[in-house]
Amino acid sequence: MNETIKVENLTKDYKNNRGIFDINFSVKKGEVFGFVGTNGSGKTTTIRHIMGFCKPDKGNCYVKDLNSLESASEIKKYVEYIPGEIAFPDLPNGTEFLKNQAELLGLKDMTYANELIKKLQLDPTANLKRMSKGMKQKTAIVAGLMADKEILILDEPTTGLDPLMRNVFLEIIEKEKKKGKTILMSSQMFDELETTCDRVALIFDGRIIDIAVVDEIKNSNYINYKIEFNNQKDYKSFKKLKYKIVRDQEKYNQVTVKIEKSNIKKLFKTLTKYDVKFISEVKNSLEKYFKEKLKKGEKNNV
Amino acid sequence: MFSKALFKQSAKANFTKWIFVTIPTCVMLAIVIIVLGNLGINDIRDSLKNVFVQADQESYLKENSVDSYELYLTTLTNYNEIAGFGSFLNMVTNNYDGKVADYEQDNGVAPNDEAKQEIIAQVAQEFGRYASFIGKTPEELKVLVTEILNFYIKDTSIKGQNLLDAYFLDQVYVGAYNNEIAKEDVTEQEALDKAEQAKVIAQDAINKYKEDSSASGYVYSRDNYLVIARNYVNTFMYDTVYDMQIDQGESQQSAKEYAVSVKVISNSAISTYQLWLNEYENEDPDNAITTEQIAQARTYACQSISDQIPEKVAIALEELGNMDIYGLIIGSIFYRIAGLLLPMVFVIMTANGLLAGQVDSGSMAYVLSTPTKRRTVTVTQMLYLLFALFSMFALLTCVSVIAVWIVGGNNFAINYVEILLFNLGAFLTMFAIAGYCFMCSAIFNRTKYSLSIGGGLTIFSLVCTILGLFGSQVVPSAMRISAMNFFNYISLITLFDTVSILEGSLNYLWQFGVLFAVGVITFIIGIFRFDKKDLPL
Repeated sequence: MNETIKVENLTKDYKNNRGIFDINFSVKKGEVFGFVGTNGSGKTTTIRHIMGFCKPDKGNCYVKDLNSLESASEIKKYVEYIPGEIAFPDLPNGTEFLKNQAELLGLKDMTYANELIKKLQLDPTANLKRMSKGMKQKTAIVAGLMADKEILILDEPTTGLDPLMRNVFLEIIEKEKKKGKTILMSSQMFDELETTCDRVALIFDGRIIDIAVVDEIKNSNYINYKIEFNNQKDYKSFKKLKYKIVRDQEKYNQVTVKIEKSNIKKLFKTLTKYDVKFISEVKNSLEKYFKEKLKKGEKNNV
Repeated sequence: MFSKALFKQSAKANFTKWIFVTIPTCVMLAIVIIVLGNLGINDIRDSLKNVFVQADQESYLKENSVDSYELYLTTLTNYNEIAGFGSFLNMVTNNYDGKVADYEQDNGVAPNDEAKQEIIAQVAQEFGRYASFIGKTPEELKVLVTEILNFYIKDTSIKGQNLLDAYFLDQVYVGAYNNEIAKEDVTEQEALDKAEQAKVIAQDAINKYKEDSSASGYVYSRDNYLVIARNYVNTFMYDTVYDMQIDQGESQQSAKEYAVSVKVISNSAISTYQLWLNEYENEDPDNAITTEQIAQARTYACQSISDQIPEKVAIALEELGNMDIYGLIIGSIFYRIAGLLLPMVFVIMTANGLLAGQVDSGSMAYVLSTPTKRRTVTVTQMLYLLFALFSMFALLTCVSVIAVWIVGGNNFAINYVEILLFNLGAFLTMFAIAGYCFMCSAIFNRTKYSLSIGGGLTIFSLVCTILGLFGSQVVPSAMRISAMNFFNYISLITLFDTVSILEGSLNYLWQFGVLFAVGVITFIIGIFRFDKKDLPL
């Protein structure tokens, strides 16, 4: 029961090396789990299986220990969903749509929905067909979150939102998280996952490459500095020292070194002897972490 | 199994479509029934039909005239041959009576049937020698005497000339009866009536013969016979028709006019007949006229309008006269083609939009991310589709019944039962089509497949029905291209047989059953398939 969402050996082969292959992960209760990957990497396919829309070739998905496919309608009592595709039923306007959706959900109390509408500055009376992409996404977010259920599955929920609205949305998610909800969220943007998620899975070509714990990356023992020297002589002599150089740009007399936090003092002492043009810290980010992972993976493959 | 919210959503989404399909269809139907009803479109048909009815009557009249003429003439000719045999016959019967009396004296009892036949044979043998006296061979005379005596023993009170007349009339009666009963489609009673009529005509002919001959001896020549026979028939026809018209309450003037017109027809038929006979005689004066030639002359004489136009045209015109133009336009054209088109468009679009369209666009995700089962979705959408279709045809039925009531109710070319069956049939056809389109919508995730396979085959069916119309029996044979009937075998709409309904045969019942079954089965397949398939939501 600790694992609210569990995906086991999930495989769906769409042929031509498309599909998802042997996906394994689980989301604990109260955890925010991110799902990152390029277009067509398999994020949405995985989510469709968790929602019980598709039958896996192999493996199973469970939500609250209920098989997603077999108990498709049962699990919807706990799950809220924002689909990746923005398409609404053929209804005249947003209000009608939300009302109809509430009826389907058996939802009588619209206070939370109205609260969301207010926060997102949405005008639901607009014609659904004439809404801008952002407006549509806001409507989809309200429709997805208004029932206030315990599990949220969000498929690229921030597409189409302007940066301000994206922040508003991330605040909402933050609040939901504080309420103790379990959240599975996919995105193409590393930064928004970095700020909200506890763990993030990287999916590439239908396979999970790595699952990273965000805190560990952020609070890593290592730190990267980018240093540029005013002359080539200093640049060359610095390179002879035993620092771990992760990036070397000879053209600009630049190096990027990776050192343990405890060695920072030593580095700065050393640098006082050189003619340094500038020094800046290169932050540890999820993006960087995964890019390194991917590079490594490619090298391994070659 | 049913979601009120989803039903409401579908109703809202498709309401405009429903209105824009139902109202024009109702208007079209009302126009077809009311406007065409007032145009009197069946008038042409009725007048054509009258032509053929009259032609039949004319033909019948002419046949009757020619037959009567022939009979009268034959009677005169034949009777002339035996008219003088009265006294000879007295001798024969006296001889017979004498022999019977002798037999009684010898045996003490009246002779039984066997003995009678023996006596008759004896008499015939004895009188054979008078053959040359009356211009017959001995054998012929023996046969004649035997036959007459056989007739005589049935009633021995009639003797001499009277016996001869009675025998002669009996021969005519039996001959006419045998002749008539040999024909097809003639009942016993009709044959008896005809024989009775022949006997009357023959009696008249004998009376006429006696009347004329008693005054001035045997005056008959063949030319005289012809004139007398024709006058007799003309007068006979005139009198009969005149009396009939008076009985039917016509004024004397109009009865006379009608009777004269009949007389003219009768006279012309007889003239034609006799002219042809003369023609045949002149062609070959040495030989007697053959039976075939007589039959041919009779055919020429009895032709009516319908016989004079080329056969194919006559058949086509007669069919046109018998065709139910109203039934054709309302049944085969409106209910099977024109009236189905808009509902079909509605069903194709709506069935697609209820499942495949929503899966393709992704909006189905909103329904299925609530605790709504797939089965609930399909059943609800099916019920909505059926509800929309049912309400459409309920309205159409009301409109059609009111329209029929306006143009004359059950007196109209199509009655209430037929119009209700048309509506039921059209509804069941649409039910089957709806099932099929719904099944396609449930099977395919992409609108393009659902529409092209579901809608494509439906429209194909309709087009086949249009093409098949030119090969079906509702089109007169002159315009019919029978090869086009092939299209009827590959169209689902053929199972909605409006002709069967109009003709009152019960074929349509099992066909309705098949349509219903197709609908039910396809709906069920659709529902089960949708439960199992992958949804790209």
